[in-house]
Amino acid sequence: MSVNENVKGSPSHIREHNPILNTVIFIVMAVVVIACTIPFLYIIAMSFSSPAAITNNRVSLWPVDFTLEAYKSIYEYPHFFRAYGYTFLFTFGGTAIALVMMILFAYPLSKDWLAGQSIVMKLVIFSMFFSGGLIPNYLLINSLHLVGTIWAILIPYAVNQFNLIILINFFKSLPNELEEAAIIDGLSYFGILVRIILPLSGAALATVGLYTAVFFWNNWFAPLIYLKSSQYPVMLLLRNIVNGRTMIVDNGGMGEKSSLSISIKSAVIILSSLPIILLYPFLQKYFVKGMTVGAVKG
Amino acid sequence: MRKKEPISPYANKITVRHYLGRYWQFYAMMLIPLCYFLLFKYVPMFGNILAFRHYKPLGGPYGDRWASGYKVWPAPFRYFEQFLLKPEFWTAFKNTLIISVENLIINFPFPIIFAILLNELRNLKLKKFVQTVSYVPRFVSTVVVVSILSELLSPTMGILTRLIDQVFGVGRIYYMNEPQYFRMLYIVTDMWQFTGWTAIIYLAAITGISSDMFEAARIDGATRFQQIIYITIPTILPTIMVMFILNVGHLLSLGFEKVLLMQTSTNMAVSDIIDTYVYRYTLGSSSPQYSLGAAIGLFNGIIGLILVSSANFASRRLTGNSIY
Repeated sequence: MSVNENVKGSPSHIREHNPILNTVIFIVMAVVVIACTIPFLYIIAMSFSSPAAITNNRVSLWPVDFTLEAYKSIYEYPHFFRAYGYTFLFTFGGTAIALVMMILFAYPLSKDWLAGQSIVMKLVIFSMFFSGGLIPNYLLINSLHLVGTIWAILIPYAVNQFNLIILINFFKSLPNELEEAAIIDGLSYFGILVRIILPLSGAALATVGLYTAVFFWNNWFAPLIYLKSSQYPVMLLLRNIVNGRTMIVDNGGMGEKSSLSISIKSAVIILSSLPIILLYPFLQKYFVKGMTVGAVKG
Repeated sequence: MRKKEPISPYANKITVRHYLGRYWQFYAMMLIPLCYFLLFKYVPMFGNILAFRHYKPLGGPYGDRWASGYKVWPAPFRYFEQFLLKPEFWTAFKNTLIISVENLIINFPFPIIFAILLNELRNLKLKKFVQTVSYVPRFVSTVVVVSILSELLSPTMGILTRLIDQVFGVGRIYYMNEPQYFRMLYIVTDMWQFTGWTAIIYLAAITGISSDMFEAARIDGATRFQQIIYITIPTILPTIMVMFILNVGHLLSLGFEKVLLMQTSTNMAVSDIIDTYVYRYTLGSSSPQYSLGAAIGLFNGIIGLILVSSANFASRRLTGNSIY
């Protein structure tokens, strides 16, 4: 997609008063803010409320009879920390591999004049619209003997075409003169990449890094089909808790148990989403820019 | 615009040896990622050949021999005939199309409207706040989305179930389990997750509009609403069309993971889509039919390719915008 690159800033015109438009804007904004916050507040409230309060429908958006029971149950459940550990491993490992791969791929591809560049670009673009389906991918990983190993998660997803194009477009936008000067100073292209290009690419790398990290953090389907249950990340654990495959507590009466399991479920939702949500305000100033600079150009 | 080759005076006389001598480092950088890319993107693409071949359990990814005939169709098309004859497949096909098209019609305009309204917001701090909040759902996993949904809509204690019951007096319905609510829940959660995020692209296009245009319109007496209709929307039309083409290309590959998570035995009639059908007969089965799965995957992929090229062609004819 082509996005106008000479950003002019938001139109600074003084607007006339239009009560209907203002009301519509206000309502839409209010709905968006409510819709995006209330569900999380409810889950937080549920995770800190006592089972009795939950059963009696006394919980809405604020914890009732504050308790840490749910978090304690999770803390005592040994597989939770193992799953959390795998999630961190996949996120950091996967993102590191992906960034190295994509940087090494994107820098040469940002050189329009390089022989062979255009054909590789065409291959990249085509693969965005047509790919092997679920089965050919699974059988490939299987025939590489990666099924049941963490490499089945870490390796196959490293090059994402969308992220790659963000990086390529960013590298293209850097001024040519810097490179020319560096060549005259006798720097190799590897040297230019490491010493000049990368230090200038913070915004693009943060954007792509964030997208990749979010992908790996949230990934549950690939672990489901490729890994053993002892290697499941936290998202898969959550899914198994939600559909009743995994029980964290099995003591207490029936009603008590089901409401405690609701607050445990809530606590797992909170714990599994927290790190990535905490990470993103720090990276927010970059990713909006990265998303627009790198918008796909076919 | 293409940038010039950095060292160019002898460019037209340069030999392959000299060229590689000068630029070998670029090829060296690309080597590993390129091989990797070909291995994980293009090998599976050729792995689609399995659609025409018999799969031997524990054998290679390309099967051991060409598929024999099934009923009427000639030999290698056995698996295509097999699923094309099944009503169950066509139910899944129909479900996929209905959910996708409904989702496209409802959720495609929302980010555009949201972006336009956001741009009209005068208070910059408020604008920033709304934007930040609207991105958050994009960062949570589909597992979390479906888990939150199931808690909000729990028939015994869900806050939303209780609220709807109190307002409309419809009783505490188990929405997640009732087939008639499945599509709506799919579409609403998609809206919740992606409206704010997709709006970024449109917002960027809107910010790129020169303020001279708005000024000129205002001098001519255009109201804010008229400015939106006659300046903002026509100017961002290329972006809208590109997004539309990309969306149409993905009509048959809708959020498989979310559907799989939301699927229950009671809502199967509406929630079974092509991808979950494939999953059920292959990786989710104790006797996986890989060739059949590959055949359906290939069928899906080819339709996707046709859809994206037709949308691209139509858009180029009608609005002059295309992605290639």
